[in-house]
Amino acid sequence: MADKNAPPPDVLRGTLDLLILKTLTLEDMHGWGIAQRIQQISKGVLEVNQGSLYPALQRLEQRGWIASEWQVSDANRRAKYYRLTASGKRAVGSETANWRRYVSAVDLILET
Amino acid sequence: MDALRGLMARLRAMLRGRQADRDLDDEIRSHIEMETAKNLALGKSPDEARRLALAVFGGRDAALEAHRDVRGARWISDFSRDTRFALRSLRHNPVLTVAAILTLAVGIGANTAIFSTLHAVVLRPLPFKDAGRLVMLYETNPERGWTQAEVAPANFFDWREQVKAFEDIAGYPSFGTTTVLSHDGEAQVMSVMQVTGNFFDVLGVRPLLGRAFTNEETWDTGERIAMISHRLWSTRFGSDSTLVGKTITLGGYQVRVVGVLPQRFVFPGRDPDVYRPTMIDRTYAPQAFFRRAHWLRAIARLKPGVSEQQANVQLQVVVQRLQREYPATNTKMGAGMRPLHRFLVGDVRQPLLALQVAVGLLLLIACANVGNLLLVRAADRERESVVRLALGAGRGRLVRQALSESLVLSTLGGLSGVALGWAGTRVLSAMQPEGMLPVRDIAVNPSVLGFALGVSVASGLLFGIGPALWAGRRAPAEVLKEGGRGTSRTRLRRWSQGLAVAEVAIALVLLAGAGLLVRSWLRVQSVDPGFASEGVLTMAVSLPPGVFDTQPRRDAFYAAAIERFRAIPGVEQAGTVTRLSLTETGWSSDFHVDGREREDFGVEVLHREISTAYHDALRIPLQRGRAFTDADNAGAPSVVLINEALAKKYFANDDPIGKRVAFDRYPDSTSFWRTIVGVVGSERQAGLESESRPEFFAPVLQDENGPRAFVIRANVPPVTIIAPARAILTELDRRVAINAVRPMTEVRDTALARRKFVMTLVLTFAAAGLLLALVGVYGVMAQLARGRRREIGIRVALGAPLTDIRGMVVRRSLSLGLSGVAIGLAGSLLVTRTMQSLLYGVSPVDPLSLVLVGATLALAAVLASLPTAWRASRVNPTETLRAE
Repeated sequence: MADKNAPPPDVLRGTLDLLILKTLTLEDMHGWGIAQRIQQISKGVLEVNQGSLYPALQRLEQRGWIASEWQVSDANRRAKYYRLTASGKRAVGSETANWRRYVSAVDLILET
Repeated sequence: MDALRGLMARLRAMLRGRQADRDLDDEIRSHIEMETAKNLALGKSPDEARRLALAVFGGRDAALEAHRDVRGARWISDFSRDTRFALRSLRHNPVLTVAAILTLAVGIGANTAIFSTLHAVVLRPLPFKDAGRLVMLYETNPERGWTQAEVAPANFFDWREQVKAFEDIAGYPSFGTTTVLSHDGEAQVMSVMQVTGNFFDVLGVRPLLGRAFTNEETWDTGERIAMISHRLWSTRFGSDSTLVGKTITLGGYQVRVVGVLPQRFVFPGRDPDVYRPTMIDRTYAPQAFFRRAHWLRAIARLKPGVSEQQANVQLQVVVQRLQREYPATNTKMGAGMRPLHRFLVGDVRQPLLALQVAVGLLLLIACANVGNLLLVRAADRERESVVRLALGAGRGRLVRQALSESLVLSTLGGLSGVALGWAGTRVLSAMQPEGMLPVRDIAVNPSVLGFALGVSVASGLLFGIGPALWAGRRAPAEVLKEGGRGTSRTRLRRWSQGLAVAEVAIALVLLAGAGLLVRSWLRVQSVDPGFASEGVLTMAVSLPPGVFDTQPRRDAFYAAAIERFRAIPGVEQAGTVTRLSLTETGWSSDFHVDGREREDFGVEVLHREISTAYHDALRIPLQRGRAFTDADNAGAPSVVLINEALAKKYFANDDPIGKRVAFDRYPDSTSFWRTIVGVVGSERQAGLESESRPEFFAPVLQDENGPRAFVIRANVPPVTIIAPARAILTELDRRVAINAVRPMTEVRDTALARRKFVMTLVLTFAAAGLLLALVGVYGVMAQLARGRRREIGIRVALGAPLTDIRGMVVRRSLSLGLSGVAIGLAGSLLVTRTMQSLLYGVSPVDPLSLVLVGATLALAAVLASLPTAWRASRVNPTETLRAE
């Protein structure tokens, strides 16, 4: 369960978490793959800073939203695969909604 | 479920930081490999591909650092920050801090001291090899009320041979003896423990020097040998390593020292200077008395893989066979076993557990008190907490911080407590009545430290959790709106009143227990032992058997001594007895009254051997018949006196005087008959708490049985005749050693000493508990009055009489106290029931002491509120209202 009283996470970090979660809804993936996928889907707009990717993954795992396991990749390499947990799936929904609310709030401010 | 998994991941990460680092390293490496592969696919050169991949990653160390941060290393820095903060804020409140630490130190110190005793005596295994495989064997006889009696030697040897479940059985006479060591021209009394030859083998103890006894030395080999304790070896013989093989003069004989025991060898409850083999005469073995007299304690070692139950089954088979084979001595004679440790410490287990419970309760009160202090502080800091909450501090963080404060307090309290406990342990072992604690080395050791640490942390959590949760649960808006007064404190007040009620309840349980012990003690003290102990001096002496080797020689010595004692100014009467009353029960026998039916068989009576003036010296009345005279000597017809208990039980309907008795179960042609010539008053033989038992007295000139003690009656204080009496004995024979010189009143006090010791301790703890509870109630009332100052101010302004204000405070306190009393009464009914074995002449539910204790606590609650009531009634309404 998320700590409801935790201070709002800073925007960038929050964004990365949401992007990771969203990516993992498609399929289980290793860290490198997640970074690639985000770059591809955002058509290169979003560059994932590798230095913050792994702490983010760690954080999500501690919240119980994702789980990890060492597996052998398609290219026959050992890699740590991440997958969404049940509460992770729920979190994608609520986090997306939060994000939308945040974006529209910022929009409102920018438009006035 | 997922939350649990997350928590597990975090815990795992914390516990295995290095592993997590390695894991991440692997992950980064796999990432870089994939990136490199991608670059290669894009047509870059291998070096370039790898360089680019590394650049993108932006430094492994930074990633590791960021990762660690998330992983939970921050907890550690948070912890040390919390601790520093706690220390700082405690320093700002020196009075509170010192009060709390002192309270805790007393609680934890008392617990540490008692626990180290409990640990040394009850919990720690005996210092023998594989001590858990040792059992104590004993005989039982429902007809005589024997539950754990000594074993008759003939039975002992049959068990040893026939019960295959035991590796071996060792034995020792249950009574200790003394002898005289003549060394460097000085006679000194030595305590002696006799043991069978296999004793040290069975216990698995190897001598420090020389050899242990051999199995053969159970029997008389014609050679006098001894092993000596490490203490005697180092104090009297200067740790002389060549002592083994030499002879020393013991009891007037030349005795060869064959071995020295190691320092750590202690046999619980016995602490002899000298060990000697039993050296039993082999010709005794086939004789009836060898199976009739019970005097051996038997320690068996179970064979590997054999359980106690299996061994017991085998033992019972042998016991039943012996019953059939030897009906004259073994009818109804059963047997049983207990783990050796349980048997040896059985006596002090219960009192020690009672003390542990008492100090546990005391600690609970201390915790409640400190909890209350912290609650008050939490209330004072309420605004600080909610401001921090409002600014976004995590509630978990606030709770943790409050908890770390109480943990810091309890750790400091614990440290001071261990120091106090260490000192307390010394005081305890110094104060303990002679022989109460069967072991010597009672000390604060790692187990005890572990216990103290556990108790400290547990108490920190116990008193800290309330205030901590309270600190975390406040809703900022509510508190800020209230401006720090009014309804928000209701819950806090309920908490702290609850604590005060608990304190009163626990103090009541403690006091009720103490009350029962005091009542028991008073009861025991007023017991009439059957003799007048004031004005009597007792002296036990050891005659070296090598010098006084025949009874006439011994008789002559005692007679000469008695005659000269009587000449000391102030001495009225002097005599001897084979065992002083109130010490222990000695020999007992079957007996048979001539001419009676066989139904009377199998009755057990005590017997002692006395000189003519014994009863007179102790002012024990002669009720019928005559006392012994000098004419009742070795050549005269055998006569006995009986005590009143015996007369009542066995001669209710006829006159005992002139009846003949024999100390046999089945009298036959070899029986030795004695004639009853008088009846004397009954004494309590085994202690003040056990009833007088039927007893015979024989003239010592006709029937000598063991060493004699002098009893001297004087019309001057007995201590004043010690010096002349000693001088007389030394003058008569320098080789005689004087071992115990005590006024009879001291013998009596010794019989009470253990009870007095336990009572004093429980009473001390209860008094400390009462004091703490009093302080606790005072604190709560003061705080309550402060919270209601405004209300009181308004009442005063509106003209309420001062007595009303005071009454309000006192009534409130009394109702708190009464709630505590009610709960405590219920609790004490549960607790005191387990004290049964410590009580004498009082029921565990003793209305008188419960009423007294309840009233005491109610009164205490009223007293504790008086300062507050007085202050409340002097509230100046204008000031109070303006301050708001």
